[in-house]
Amino acid sequence: MELWYTHLMRESIDQDSLLVQGNRACALGALDAGVRFFAGYPITPSSEIMEVMARELPAVGGVFMQMEDEIASICACIGASLTGEVSMTATSGPGFSLMQEAIGYAIMAEAPSVIVNVMRQGPSTGRPTTPSQGDVMQARWGTHGDHPAIVLAASNVADMYRLTIAAVRFAQRFRMPVILLADEIVGHMRESFSPEIAGRYRLTSGDFDFTETYTHPEMVREVHAPHELGTLIHPHVTGLIHDETGFPTNDPKKSEQFLRELHDKVVHHRDELCLYDVKNVGKGRVAVVAYGSCARSARAALKLAEQEGIPVEVLHLYTLFPLPVEIIQELARRVEFILIPELNLGQYAREVRRLAENWTTVVSMGRVDGNLITPRDIVDRLAELVGKYESS
Amino acid sequence: MAEREPNVAEEESTVAEPRTIDHYLHTDRFPHIWCPGCGLGTVTAAFLRAALELGLEKERTVVVGGIGCSSRAVGYLDFGTVHSIHGRALAFATGIKMAHPEFTVIVLTGDGDGAAIGGNHLIHACRRNLDITTILFNNNVYGMTGGQASPQTGMGGIATTAPFGFDEPSFDLCRLAEAAGATYVARGTSYGVRQLQRLIRDGITHPGFSFIEAVTQCPTEYGKRNPPKGPVQMLENLKEKAIPRKKAEGMTPEELEGRIVTGLLHRDESVPELTASYARMLERVRGSADE
Amino acid sequence: MSEALTLTAGLLSSREYVEVRFGGSGGQGVILMGVILAVAGTRDRRHVVQTQSYGPEARGGYSRSDVVLANAPIDYPQVQGLDLLVALSAEAAAKYSDMLRRTGFLIFDSDEISSPPLVEATSYGIPFSRLAIETTGRTQTTNILALGAVAGLTGVVSVASLEKAVLSMVPKGTEEMNLNALRRGLSLTPEEWRRPSA
Ligand SMILES: Cc1ncc(C[n+]2csc(CCOP(=O)(O)OP(=O)(O)O)c2C)c(N)n1
Ligand code: SF4
Ligand SMILES: [Mg+2]
Repeated sequence: MELWYTHLMRESIDQDSLLVQGNRACALGALDAGVRFFAGYPITPSSEIMEVMARELPAVGGVFMQMEDEIASICACIGASLTGEVSMTATSGPGFSLMQEAIGYAIMAEAPSVIVNVMRQGPSTGRPTTPSQGDVMQARWGTHGDHPAIVLAASNVADMYRLTIAAVRFAQRFRMPVILLADEIVGHMRESFSPEIAGRYRLTSGDFDFTETYTHPEMVREVHAPHELGTLIHPHVTGLIHDETGFPTNDPKKSEQFLRELHDKVVHHRDELCLYDVKNVGKGRVAVVAYGSCARSARAALKLAEQEGIPVEVLHLYTLFPLPVEIIQELARRVEFILIPELNLGQYAREVRRLAENWTTVVSMGRVDGNLITPRDIVDRLAELVGKYESS
Repeated sequence: MAEREPNVAEEESTVAEPRTIDHYLHTDRFPHIWCPGCGLGTVTAAFLRAALELGLEKERTVVVGGIGCSSRAVGYLDFGTVHSIHGRALAFATGIKMAHPEFTVIVLTGDGDGAAIGGNHLIHACRRNLDITTILFNNNVYGMTGGQASPQTGMGGIATTAPFGFDEPSFDLCRLAEAAGATYVARGTSYGVRQLQRLIRDGITHPGFSFIEAVTQCPTEYGKRNPPKGPVQMLENLKEKAIPRKKAEGMTPEELEGRIVTGLLHRDESVPELTASYARMLERVRGSADE
Repeated sequence: MSEALTLTAGLLSSREYVEVRFGGSGGQGVILMGVILAVAGTRDRRHVVQTQSYGPEARGGYSRSDVVLANAPIDYPQVQGLDLLVALSAEAAAKYSDMLRRTGFLIFDSDEISSPPLVEATSYGIPFSRLAIETTGRTQTTNILALGAVAGLTGVVSVASLEKAVLSMVPKGTEEMNLNALRRGLSLTPEEWRRPSA
């Protein structure tokens, strides 16, 4: 039987080891997940994703297009998606900004698509080759209007592969754009991992299983029949608020119902969408909540802190949005404070504070000099805070 | 969706009744949003008569609009229709056509949608020579948003954002399309509807990127501020200004000043069409992979 | 395998967690050295992360490539100190030697670096460029020859894995030449090139 993860396995150095670059792993994940349409525009540090797709898609009969800009890229992806293709694009901050209007369209028209943003320092051209997590809130609220969002964050090369697959599945199942955030470090690093983990995403929240037994998920909710262009239904697709027929409506009741349903299809499935991992669960006096590259620093800090006598719990989030509300609130009840290291000035910390401040203190630890937060930085800050809260 | 089930098969069995353009219309969506005397409906009807002539199948035809009064036409058409976002109809259409080359893909756009915000997509679509037919409804104004200036407003034209007269020259959209690589370029008006229908029909059958500029009247937002006022007068003006390409060829630039040259302006069958070249590339790559 | 080699082989490979940096200037093949070491480490069944400097730094002057090798999954992906610094330019040696641990190794191209920094780590100065010319007639093989020396002197990866990694990474048609360079590097004896430490 042919392995479903053939593209990944072609990279193997020998039978049970792989060494892959993050951006490459993302493209391979897309190919193995069945992405057959890619449109993009080059931008550092994401270009390798489109370069791999350009080389690999023709061999599987897929379509690759280099468009004239990022707006055209996302729009072409949505166009393809409306014909039933699974489509994907990849970019970085400036291009992600250009895509925002169309992302809103895809949410409104319920067009599944995957958008990868390999983050670099901004705003504007910023520092194109340094890592950042500055687009977290843009991923959540970048497009206009009230809308739901599914946003994932990759912390290592295996994530780049597996979370791309998760993003494709979520897009198909929830019929909306899914955003995968990475950063320059994760995108450009090469990392070894075992092919065994390719199929299974063992997470505390439950296994997300992409092995060959995996079947196409049922659609979560249908506002109107899947609008697959070129079918007998020959549907009408619009960015205007519409009813179950797909045609615009100005009825206030129907408008509200539609917008609420768009939200609810995501919020009501939080259990399924919130991928996370907890280390040292229930054993920490204090906690670190982290995602992306910073989650790696946090995991390393956990070991260091243990040696230094500070019991820490680490909550590693793979899904940033929908917000893992229950998970964060449970954690908040257990610990004296939560530290949130981020490569921005506290974007996600604000969200966590909102959820946790009834039970615990939330401390933001932002770094925007273009370097990663080191495990030492985290442990030093934890020690400082432990001292502070003990003396007070 | 049930009540809107397509009725192609049923209608095909009742052969006797000749089809009208209603065949391609969601008449249940009427009344339409267009103002009395607006030319957009005339141009849309010309397109639908061309579709009838060709017998376009609803389920294999996708019509994509941008945003604007003109782009709203897609909301009344019984094909696969996409009402996309402002300026990006061609980008959506590119994805659709590349994913499904067997579809007939038509783009309906306005002068603001296609030549201003979507101008970059327009020239790149021309360059790619993808088999899409674009009908640009040129009414010299941003109709939908209330009469602001468009790139096609023209020197001296009055608009809400050019109260003292617009001082920017316009594009010659057909020459722009030709220079950018479109392989079928034509211009018609909402007065010369038979000619327009023919030009659109031939554009759809042309295997490559077809660009058809349909010059039309917006009595509400353009006509209100610029002579001649009134839909009838505007149509008569179109009739007077229009001049067939053949006739125009013998005229000097001075004589052609202010005239609208109509007809087929450019056609080139020698340039490879993109979905065909892409298919050949796939064959080449997959062939060599098998070796 | 020479006697000297067996003496030192396994030194770094026996450590749980090893942090390596290759530093030089653009065009010296420093990035490739890191990638080849990462492939070899993966073949050795080690957990490996390889990162490199991109952008302006990579274009003009400096170029560097870092590799972390470990027996357990690697959390923090970047180097926090160095167990091995391979410097092919004076700037790289000066800029990064501060990060070297006392138990680490500095290996530098003595053709490029006339006054190396004084470090507490074990230090080797080897005329890589000249040896490459002597061995293959091509300066382009300097990086592969240096990799051979690095593996021979420190045992950071196994010889078998390194050979396979080199063969899989160098351009087609240059395998023979690069293998010669690699073997020349592997045959170097530590006594001959050892420099005094601080
Ligand atoms: C990004 C964006 N900017 C602005 C608008 C507002 N807008 C809607 S239609 C339009 C102009 C349409 O002009 P044209 O394409 O000439 O169409 P017409 O209404 O004249 O047919 C504008 C500016 C929009 N919908 N989206
Ligand atoms: S505003 Fe102008 S273009 Fe729009 S519908 Fe009215 S007349 Fe037509
Ligand atoms: Mg207009």
